Amino acid sequence: MSALIEARDLTKKYGAHVALDRANFSVEAGRIVGLIGPNGAGKTTALRAILGLTAYEGQLKVLGHEPFRERTALMHETCFIADVAVLPAWLRVDQAIDFVAGVHPRFRRDRAVSLLAKADITGERRMRELSKGMKTQVHLALTMAIDAKLLVLDEPTLGLDILARRAFYDALVNDYMDESRTILITTHQVEEVENLLTDVLFIDKGRIVLDSSLDDIATRYAAVAVAADNLDAARAEKPFHERPMLGKVVLYYEQPNLELLAALGEVHALSVADLFVAKLSGGAE
Amino acid sequence: MNVAIWLIRREFWENRAIWMIPAAIGALMVLIALFGRVDLMSVSSVPVQAVGGGFLLAVGATFFAVMSIYSTWYLLDCLYADRKDRSILFWKSMPISDTTTVLSKLATALIAIPAVYFAAADVTTLIMAFIVSVRWSSSIDGALWHAELWLQLQVLWLYMIVTTALWYLPIAAYLLVVSAWARRAVMLWSLLPPLTLVLAERWFFDSHVILGAIGGRLLGYPAQAFRDDPGSSSWVTTVVGNDTITTPTSIWGFFNAGGFFSSAETWIGAAVGAALIVCAVQLRTRRTEI
Repeated sequence: MSALIEARDLTKKYGAHVALDRANFSVEAGRIVGLIGPNGAGKTTALRAILGLTAYEGQLKVLGHEPFRERTALMHETCFIADVAVLPAWLRVDQAIDFVAGVHPRFRRDRAVSLLAKADITGERRMRELSKGMKTQVHLALTMAIDAKLLVLDEPTLGLDILARRAFYDALVNDYMDESRTILITTHQVEEVENLLTDVLFIDKGRIVLDSSLDDIATRYAAVAVAADNLDAARAEKPFHERPMLGKVVLYYEQPNLELLAALGEVHALSVADLFVAKLSGGAE
Repeated sequence: MNVAIWLIRREFWENRAIWMIPAAIGALMVLIALFGRVDLMSVSSVPVQAVGGGFLLAVGATFFAVMSIYSTWYLLDCLYADRKDRSILFWKSMPISDTTTVLSKLATALIAIPAVYFAAADVTTLIMAFIVSVRWSSSIDGALWHAELWLQLQVLWLYMIVTTALWYLPIAAYLLVVSAWARRAVMLWSLLPPLTLVLAERWFFDSHVILGAIGGRLLGYPAQAFRDDPGSSSWVTTVVGNDTITTPTSIWGFFNAGGFFSSAETWIGAAVGAALIVCAVQLRTRRTEI
């Protein structure tokens, strides 16, 4: 089966500023992919292009559609939550349900209603009366009730407290995710989504700097904490990043010789956050 | 079609003023009919038709005037508001084309809102006529409960909805372009381009073709859609004291439907309107930020 999202030399310029610089990536069906990058790296621009909200150069296919030209067709099979605050203040919860039920052929009203009942949100409330966390729950309930192949989330938990964030991700994993769905999510809170993701795309200055599954990361990368006397030997193994920690130095390796490193110090796996920091500050090493 | 109806319904949810303003005007008029003081002696000698017709037209004209102002504001605001509160990102997550969205906002302004005002004017005149009949007994009943008069008024409204929609299409579409484009101060931005063009033309060419075109479009509607002189047989002259009052016997003679629909100006305007609608759709597609 071909990829759900396929980008070739995806480029977007705003005047002289290049937001996306010949980015190449693909997303396979059934994955939960984190698009991770620092602020201004091009995350949101990439999502806007994928969702047909902005014109672009290069090639991009999402579910077989060219997003910008075929947004309407694409939106039959794709949902997105841009960020928490986009449901209009005047909209009532029951109006939102009626509207989506009226215009979206894949919307299942009963599902939305039961999700909202679970979150204790009643129909006559207007968005302006709801807290940010509740608004997010409403948006998520509407979105999860749409039988879509691809769900795109752009910083969905921005501005939410820890309880609301946890509730959001719990609902996403327990009530939404199954084999037939694919989720693409951007966030700069890597730790929070780390154990949810199957794949990561690191983006920096408009380019994809890493495209990997989490399984690959676990087997491909390792970190070793070594004391000063083993440092030269450890450096000889060509780490791509190092940082001091509590009197020792932690060195990061790609495709490490684990037996050799185990003799030098404590070996442990790299977290996505560690790898992200290393890859993005690594350019200056 | 179904989607368009949901989109128009959502405009009614968002802009509750669409029905609240005419409801308020109607309520105010009913209050005036209930408690207002009218010297019926002064009107009793005028022909029955003229009293009833004048009354109905005055009510209708009030609604129509308020509606024009409100619709202008609505058109300027509708696409801009979606970007301002960022809800455009929610609307665009639905499988609805930008063309459908823009056209349904246009239809809201040119058809749905006039229909609401039409209904409100009708209900208001009915209630007022009823109150007046009760308060002043039968003295002017004949003037108000007059089937042909009511029928004429319905036709007049429908005729005006259709013809104003067509005549003001370029203006409405222009307002949508501004609404889809401006980052702030939509009202100001709607005035600036025509004002600049008019002044530039005056400065460089010492002419005022643009001013004439804009003015003709804004003020030229009555002359296009109606006749000033429906022919002498349609008028009746009455002597009241020292004055003579000339009143039309019916409004049929005033309609200029043939002239309106065969006028080049009508269709040139519609073509300009269509081109501007395409612009507004393009802007809606490309511009999601404020």
